[in-house]
Amino acid sequence: MSEIILGIGDYGASKTPGGRVKTFALGSCVAAILRDPRNGAVGMVHVALPDSSINEAKARQRPGYFADLGLPLLIQEMARLGSPDNGRGLVVKLVGGASIMDHNETFNIGKRNVLALKKHLWAYGLGPLAEDVGGNYSRTVSVFVDSGKVVVNCPGRGEWEV
Amino acid sequence: MTKVVDAEAIRQAIERLPLFSPNALQLLQVIADPDHELEDVIRIVKFDSVLTMRVLKVVNSPVYGLVNEVTSIDRALSYLGERMVVSIAVQDNAGQLLNKPLEGYLGEQGALWRHDLFSAIASREVARYARGDFDLDLAFTGGLLHDIGKSIFSDFWKEVAQDALSQIDEGMVADYLMAEQDLAGLDHTEVGYRMARHWQMPEALQRVILHHHHPAEAPDWVQPLVYAVHLGDIVSMMAGCDTGSDGLQYHLDTGYREFFNLSPNALAEIVLNAQEEFSRARESLTN
Repeated sequence: MSEIILGIGDYGASKTPGGRVKTFALGSCVAAILRDPRNGAVGMVHVALPDSSINEAKARQRPGYFADLGLPLLIQEMARLGSPDNGRGLVVKLVGGASIMDHNETFNIGKRNVLALKKHLWAYGLGPLAEDVGGNYSRTVSVFVDSGKVVVNCPGRGEWEV
Repeated sequence: MTKVVDAEAIRQAIERLPLFSPNALQLLQVIADPDHELEDVIRIVKFDSVLTMRVLKVVNSPVYGLVNEVTSIDRALSYLGERMVVSIAVQDNAGQLLNKPLEGYLGEQGALWRHDLFSAIASREVARYARGDFDLDLAFTGGLLHDIGKSIFSDFWKEVAQDALSQIDEGMVADYLMAEQDLAGLDHTEVGYRMARHWQMPEALQRVILHHHHPAEAPDWVQPLVYAVHLGDIVSMMAGCDTGSDGLQYHLDTGYREFFNLSPNALAEIVLNAQEEFSRARESLTN
């Protein structure tokens, strides 16, 4: 199977038959997952923080780390596979953004990541068709080229589809 | 009916643990002394040929990209910092425990070492935001050892662990630690505390291990340190670097505000810096 594994701050896309894009242990990070139903391409970005203005050097070095830079880069990557470069018609799903129990505003990075991604999706006229976000558990997520399915799993909680 | 793991069997497992080498133990004791100096650490390393060799290997690993080979311990330590020497010593003395799979937590091989290393780095980053003076490298060492109890507890916990998450989800217990206490009769912090006592670790580190999920219960003199590790542990789990099924299933104690000045931006910087240093440290310690 052709497989793209993403670390934190990585993004990638594929339309290779039998392929998938996967990222492990999201924690408070969020995976924005895109699929183009016209050409079957799928893509994902593993975002760790909402806003790149916090550290410009890191933003240049690893832009996918941040919601504001990672999402446009993923849309560009999808465009490289033949999808529209304005993101039109892409199907979006969001996974991750968990938090510790009894978190306060400071520690709720997961929620801020989800909100930031939604804000930047809106700029493209996009919104999530489905999401599996929040809660107190870390998720591993895969998106499959052939079926377009988004499958989440978590130690002790099993596997489910979003 | 509540099941209870065999506390006597755990006691025996702890008794069978090999002791830390005298040099490694001395290193931890020196680090725990707030008045220690780098020279004290250098002296210990110089008298331990194995540790010396490992430290030089790490500092000359490609991760650090040094042009000229470092051949003296003095230079290696001033470059790596005390924390990397502690990491090497702990890895050498407890590596088998830290690298074994955590079956009770569904944690894969190496998950505990990765979590502990990330927590150590994050605890140190948190300590930078302390309202008062803080020994950053002691926060690192506390983070490195805080979950050591899981290495023994996991083997016993796996017999009863399957009900833990459902108990939490149904509100029968407050968090994963309570689930351990309810289902097993004791928890990983208590087992870790007993291990630390067996190893005769400094009192401050014993307290970190015992109280890291409930820092307010630690004695006043060690509370700031325990809070730093409490937060470092949480940052590690938020970054997805957990030990398995218990990830994020614990409470945040907001009493940290008394000791640390953390804003959302500060926390983002902590996550960012910890992730970067973790990648470098992990690679250099693996090579």
